[in-house]
Amino acid sequence: MAVTEFTWIGKPIKRLEDRRFITGKGKYIDDISLPRMCYAKILRSPYAHARIKKIDISGALKVRGVVAVVTGNDLAKHFNPLPNFGDPRVVQYPLAVDKVRYVGEGVVAVVAEDKYVAEDALEKIDVEYEVLPALIDPEKAMQETKVLVHESLGSNIVFQKTMRFGNFEKDYSTADIIVKEKLRWNRSSAEPLDTAGAIADYDEGTGILKIWANSLTFTNFIWLYANSLKIPTNKLIIQPVNAGGSFGSKFYAHKVACLAGMLSMLTRRPVKYVEDRVDHILNSDHHGSDRIYEAELAVTKDGIFKALRVKVIDDYGAYFQFGVGTHGNSLAQVTGPYTISSVEYTVIAVLTNKNQQGAYRGFGSEVTNWMLERLVESARRKLGMDPVEIRMKNFIPPDKFPYKIPTGNMYDSGNYPAVLRKALQVIDYEKWRKIKEEAKKEGRLIGIGIASAQDRSVFSATEFWFWFEKPAAPVTSTPESVTLSIDPMGKITVTLYSQAMWGNSPETVAAQVVAEEFGIDPYDVNVIYADTSRALPATGPGGSRFSIMVAGAIKGAAEILKAKLKKAAATIMEVKEEDLEVKEGMVKIKGTTKGMKIAELAALVHMFRHNYNFPKELTSGLTADYTFDHPYTTLPKEDRSDLGVFYPIMAHACHIAVVEVDRETGFVKLLDYAAVHDCGTIINPKTLEGMIIGGVAQGIGTALYEQHLYDQNGNPLNADFTGYIIPTAIEIPNIKVDHVVTPSPFTPYGIKGAGEGGRMIAPAAIPNAVEDALEDFGIKVNEIPINYEKIYRALKEKSK
Amino acid sequence: MAKSAPAKMESKLVHIKVNVNGVDYEHDLEPRLLLVHYIRDVLGLTGTHIGCDTSNCGACTVILNGKSVKSCTMFAVQANGAKILTIEGLAKNGELHPIQKAFWENHALQCGFCTPGLIMQAYWFLQENPNPTEEEIRKGISGNLCRCTGYQNIVKAIMAASKEMKR
Amino acid sequence: MNIYSFYSFHHRIKFICLDQFIYMSMIPRPFMYFSPTTENEALALLKDYKSDAKILAGGMSLIPLMKLRLVSPNYIIDINKVESLSYIKQEGNKIRIGALTRHHDLEKSDILKKVLPIISETASLVADPQVRNMGTIGGSLSHADPAGDLGSCIIALNGDIVIKSESKERTVKIDNFFVDTFTTSLEPDEMVKEIIVQVPKGRSGGAYLKLERRAGDFAIAAVATQISLDNKGICNYAGIGLTAVGPTNLRAKKAEDFLLGKELNDKIIEEAAEIASNEAKPGDDPLRGSAEYKKAMVKVLTKRALKISLNRAGGG
Repeated sequence: MAVTEFTWIGKPIKRLEDRRFITGKGKYIDDISLPRMCYAKILRSPYAHARIKKIDISGALKVRGVVAVVTGNDLAKHFNPLPNFGDPRVVQYPLAVDKVRYVGEGVVAVVAEDKYVAEDALEKIDVEYEVLPALIDPEKAMQETKVLVHESLGSNIVFQKTMRFGNFEKDYSTADIIVKEKLRWNRSSAEPLDTAGAIADYDEGTGILKIWANSLTFTNFIWLYANSLKIPTNKLIIQPVNAGGSFGSKFYAHKVACLAGMLSMLTRRPVKYVEDRVDHILNSDHHGSDRIYEAELAVTKDGIFKALRVKVIDDYGAYFQFGVGTHGNSLAQVTGPYTISSVEYTVIAVLTNKNQQGAYRGFGSEVTNWMLERLVESARRKLGMDPVEIRMKNFIPPDKFPYKIPTGNMYDSGNYPAVLRKALQVIDYEKWRKIKEEAKKEGRLIGIGIASAQDRSVFSATEFWFWFEKPAAPVTSTPESVTLSIDPMGKITVTLYSQAMWGNSPETVAAQVVAEEFGIDPYDVNVIYADTSRALPATGPGGSRFSIMVAGAIKGAAEILKAKLKKAAATIMEVKEEDLEVKEGMVKIKGTTKGMKIAELAALVHMFRHNYNFPKELTSGLTADYTFDHPYTTLPKEDRSDLGVFYPIMAHACHIAVVEVDRETGFVKLLDYAAVHDCGTIINPKTLEGMIIGGVAQGIGTALYEQHLYDQNGNPLNADFTGYIIPTAIEIPNIKVDHVVTPSPFTPYGIKGAGEGGRMIAPAAIPNAVEDALEDFGIKVNEIPINYEKIYRALKEKSK
Repeated sequence: MAKSAPAKMESKLVHIKVNVNGVDYEHDLEPRLLLVHYIRDVLGLTGTHIGCDTSNCGACTVILNGKSVKSCTMFAVQANGAKILTIEGLAKNGELHPIQKAFWENHALQCGFCTPGLIMQAYWFLQENPNPTEEEIRKGISGNLCRCTGYQNIVKAIMAASKEMKR
Repeated sequence: MNIYSFYSFHHRIKFICLDQFIYMSMIPRPFMYFSPTTENEALALLKDYKSDAKILAGGMSLIPLMKLRLVSPNYIIDINKVESLSYIKQEGNKIRIGALTRHHDLEKSDILKKVLPIISETASLVADPQVRNMGTIGGSLSHADPAGDLGSCIIALNGDIVIKSESKERTVKIDNFFVDTFTTSLEPDEMVKEIIVQVPKGRSGGAYLKLERRAGDFAIAAVATQISLDNKGICNYAGIGLTAVGPTNLRAKKAEDFLLGKELNDKIIEEAAEIASNEAKPGDDPLRGSAEYKKAMVKVLTKRALKISLNRAGGG
């Protein structure tokens, strides 16, 4: 498909959002105050696993300025459990009821006039616990039958299933070589600088509960929140608030919003609850994947990949809100960019006494990418093949798209060889290979790592429930809506419904699409965020879906408005509608320069209805709502041998990392880095590049620096930013970004998602580079994050 | 779990006079009130943010008597007699400071949460080092964490601002 | 809850009778606040309140502890307005540094960069730029964190600590200043007034190398070395200070003695580094490295630091 030239789409315009942020007028959740607002602070569990025997709040109630002290039992008495897409037997409240299941779980909430007073009151609360053994190691937790995280389950294995696709038996048994690797991906998390927060205001007068929250993706699921809050679904309003980053961690962050809501309903006062950093690290809704793999790749002696076999144990922590959605996600691209023809995928979801998993940029697919690339490297080393050669040999050829992978998902478009070739060019592969060889003579260890991997976008709801034979709620809609309105002066406003700004440039993207549609200046467009009382169906950002879905909705609404403008213009100019087009801010007669300005038409349509002989259906005003549904999704087969199409908009990237390993300390330093992406049609190259670089930076953090560590009793060892280290400007090198464009045949403008991209591939590329640096020692790097001490020890062993 | 906390401390309020963004303020404060809370909650200048509580992230960076400091790790009472500059004080009469302009022009922010702290740190850094190399800039902002941008465009922006400010 | 996880978590605070994870607070408990403007005023307050009080200098170590409520002094004596405590002076072959001198000023000092650049180098590696704007040498040494950088530097320079109380002034060698983790030989009514180091005679060079997971982190291990050579190129001064590998900053005394009287070449340096690593007494740190790794890193860093020091001394 040819790449079209657009006027505004594809231009690196400066963002519309920035002025308020660079002047300190950002209005994030903690910047908002309401009259008579009070503050909530949480007393958290000091134990990983314990029964709550007694809570004495009397001391806290005596502290001057304390408005209320609320326990889990209070919540259970008045409200329903938190929303849950996982397993109905795993019940969760914002505060622990009867039992605490991880260090940091909320036990008591203090609401006070002043946050300092709330903090003081926490110290006056006495909780008596009966400490239970803590389940920290998922492999041990799996075997454990007496100590259970949730007694209702009867086991710590909350879900287990094997799925097979393609002719697995045949492919596996006829392969010449099977490479097998045991892999460990440790848990990290998004840790945006702005934690989750909410202000809830229950108005006794109207019975309406309004919650300001920096949680995202709430609109479509607001009825679930209302259910937890035991409030009529049409009496709950959520007001989006600028969020300082999300990367998944504000995706449907229900705990904070619901807790604030519950506290406000109990106290009849506005209540603000904003997590501090320790709260967030210990108790957020979203830790990342925590996996142990036994993975195998069946290969021919010529290096052709035939079959993939995966057995993965995933430690979900103490709750199971999304079920194994992070694995459903993986099945969208489990075979990577390769023509692997069959898959056996076994997932064992285990519960332990840790905080729950949720979403972190990639939602589990970044882990699958890494796993697959580890196998590819293992296979090529066994066969003595070059990394470029083995990938090129196995890529899905560019003329085979749309391509169906064994699981049933489709890949819409792609040119994987072109992306790899470009990446080699951008990094100057030959130059680095020479430098690597020269460096060896000085005893220096330099390595180059290549990773080619997928970045699926626009999720469908099916990945959450196709695991179950009889799913309770086989939801399939994941729409997005906008409202476009043109005011009497011709100025356009876009209303978004499912989020506020969280770093993803929604205003700029929306403005560029509107500008493209109407031929106007994007800086003339205003983008606003509606609360849910006026909400159209909207799923919100997640799975890199947003630009595509909003573009589709804008396009749909634009068509309606353009038709109306043409209808009005046809009447006034006395021409046929089909002879008119909307271009350059005007309604023009095709092929001429004659026409009417949109602004002029808008005034007439708004205010001068009866001055003209407009057709009956042309009512006053220029507002259009449009709901855009997933452009291409199909249902899974009953027997699940084919999962249907659920994530077909398939972006792709090749990352090449160059590292140096200090042979005396084991330290890894990044020397160079290239990221070449295919995100289809690019809306704004500047913001896209920013997203990719930011994603790579998080991927570097994941690969080298970040891990939630626990001792054997389940005590977190690094619950603050002193211990949990995210990279600074010194650790992140300059990332060279470039693009290949294969537009999607299924989306508006051919756009593909890009938000997760950088982090989807970086953790796969970096271990490849480290192994390359250590190739003469034959050291494998099968754990994330890469531990420098382990490299030191491996080097020491090998030099004996 | 009741801790044996020290005997209740009735702390005397301390009177402070402070100049923030050119405006004089006087308040009686609890000594334990953190400077960042004073700036945000008492003065209502919410552009300075809190990101971590343990002095790592730099989102709370302000200029105090000409030095960039982490306001979450200071008591407001320490600022008695001091001159403070926050992000809100940078633009003059609606005209953006060159550093602010450079951040916008170079796409040096995505969610914007770390941005005020980074701009203030850059403000101090460029006074110290008006002609920095890229490596010096990276070291100069190593006390500020950003989770969105990967720092690359921030470094570009500060470099661009340094050139603009020399003119 | 074991003591060890707290150890790494809270910058290695030793915890007695801690039986659970307490990570409650981000706001300090209440206290009384004083802001003296002279040394005498400050010392008088210290005499009155003694262990009930804490000196607030940069606050970069104290305030985080207070916010976590791990330390809750009833009285805070803020000495930031005692300007007489902030100076860097050269008097003959002595450098006198006031306790309130900020890390940033040490980093930028022309005097130090000329005669004792190891101090500037060490200061430049403490935490991050904003912390260095506030943090002070006196505060850092008084805090006596074994992961504190300046402590090892002053050990390598064989510095003296001048201590003052209302009634007297005394001078203590750095070796006798650090007693245990977060414990110095300061009496409850005493504070550090000044640090004195000698300007090296003849050809001298020093270096501070810090191995950290990430910029601004506490060290996995760090080593300060200062050596001087006589006019025949023989080592006549060797100071080696070790960071984050023991209950306090440590002196690698045996390694120092080994170097004296020798011509420094690769083999000698290698041996000295081996000796130094055996003088390190680290514990296992789940965040930053096992004891074995830390010791091995002491060897690597000592070797590298000595080579740089030798180079800077114009030898090698």
